[in-house]
Amino acid sequence: MVAAFGSMANLGGDPAELAGARLQPPSPEHWLGTDHLGRSLVPRLLEGVGVTLLLSSIAVLATAVLSTALGILAGYAGGALNDLVMRLVELLYAFPSIVLAILVAAVVGPGRPAAMAAIVLVTIPLMTRLVRAASAAVSQRDYVTSAIVSGVRLPKILVRHVLPNVSGTIAVQGTYALSVGILVEGGLSFLGLGVQPPQASLGVLIQEGGVYMVAAPWLIIAPGVVLILAILSINVVGDGLRDRFEPRETRSLR
Amino acid sequence: MSGEDGHPGGDVGAGPPVLELDEVSVVFSSGLFRREHVHAMRDVSLRIEPGETLGVVGESGSGKTTTGMVALGLQRPTSGAVRFEGVPGVAKRRRGLAGSIQVVLQHPQWSLDPRMRVGDSVAEPFGAATHRTRNEGDVERDRRVGAATHRTRDVGAAEAVRVMLEEVGLEPSFAERYPHELSGGQRQRVAIARALITRPRFVVFDEAVSALDVSVQAQILNLIKDLQAEFGFSALFISHDLGAVRYVAHRIAVMRHGEVVETAETETFYANPSHEYSRQLLEAL
Repeated sequence: MVAAFGSMANLGGDPAELAGARLQPPSPEHWLGTDHLGRSLVPRLLEGVGVTLLLSSIAVLATAVLSTALGILAGYAGGALNDLVMRLVELLYAFPSIVLAILVAAVVGPGRPAAMAAIVLVTIPLMTRLVRAASAAVSQRDYVTSAIVSGVRLPKILVRHVLPNVSGTIAVQGTYALSVGILVEGGLSFLGLGVQPPQASLGVLIQEGGVYMVAAPWLIIAPGVVLILAILSINVVGDGLRDRFEPRETRSLR
Repeated sequence: MSGEDGHPGGDVGAGPPVLELDEVSVVFSSGLFRREHVHAMRDVSLRIEPGETLGVVGESGSGKTTTGMVALGLQRPTSGAVRFEGVPGVAKRRRGLAGSIQVVLQHPQWSLDPRMRVGDSVAEPFGAATHRTRNEGDVERDRRVGAATHRTRDVGAAEAVRVMLEEVGLEPSFAERYPHELSGGQRQRVAIARALITRPRFVVFDEAVSALDVSVQAQILNLIKDLQAEFGFSALFISHDLGAVRYVAHRIAVMRHGEVVETAETETFYANPSHEYSRQLLEAL
């Protein structure tokens, strides 16, 4: 998957090139066949994975920044600020993600910005809630109390003590948010509200493939499999990160 | 309240008490529409003289920890006054008092930030406190301690950390280590070093030895006594462990359901507790 991200640049030719006859099955010349306009699927797929990942990554980065700020503040401060942030976040959480995404697309208009905004809105609740929980736990610890008593100022406490101790949660949740982001992009583009053809993304490819599902099944199977693999591998990375961060925290318990 | 409330002679110093709680009550509200009230402290009056350790004992939920939080200025009393060296309003003046008041807390595993080197942890209050102008008493105290600590800030911090680690019986090389490389007792020594680096006049020890092995407890209690003799701070020593309190405290206050039921000299208290509840506690020991 990561290799696909790197080598997407120019493997197998120009994705827009009309390489041959339309709807050809896989052949030595075009490994995954050609689509309804006669474009070879391999470069299309690589472009699609790249676009999807780039878009999701940027969106998740934005989520991470927002969620970290909101979560740390809410978790540390508690009280009214915590209630306000959490109710707002729960409001977002209450929407099924695809409905929220369609809503965003309706407001912003279909396209890449809509897909990114949708990913941010869908992933913010998940991440903010967990960062808040971690921050609330860290804020109760004795070293934070000690720092408060010693007169260390609030921004310094948040940056020196709280942020480093919730960074594990942020990293783990970031990877999960990335896989959610890929799904949201896929769903939205599939509905024609996200990335717009002729640009490829996994969602666009699946949508295009769906039209010719009976005549040319390879067109939907290939991007579908890639989507599954992408999400699977991101989750494996997330689990790995979790295993790496959590034993350390339990070890320091004794 | 029964038992004597006076102070043991004039040997510990004159002037106003370092810390005084005057009829302090703390009420926590909870539940639907905040209708349920929990009285964590009811009209608690305590005095801690210069150089004195007041032990506070009582079972879980008796209001010991709330008392500590009030003394630190982290919890505002619902009613009553908290005076530090005769001036009321500790919670409002918390920032100004930073460095004069310090705390050593319960859990050795969470007392130090796992992501900070020991030296940085110990230096933290030092950096925060040296921004402020220092009191005359501190200069005098520094001279008595014989440490050239609080002079220049950057050289001062590293040197002060080294001196403090030595004071608590740790090698200077501990400054480079991370907390997970230390034992529980060593971590609590570091926590004590961090608290005393600003030469506080008042320290709250909240269950500071309760999580440690008995033999390590004894070492830490000895350390606290030695350091108190050297630095002359006053202390509030909160514990459910009557044995530990007996060892370090000059006077003892017994709390139950948020009230102080007895205050007495340590010797008097262990020889002849006057309150029924105190007798029960001692029998359970």
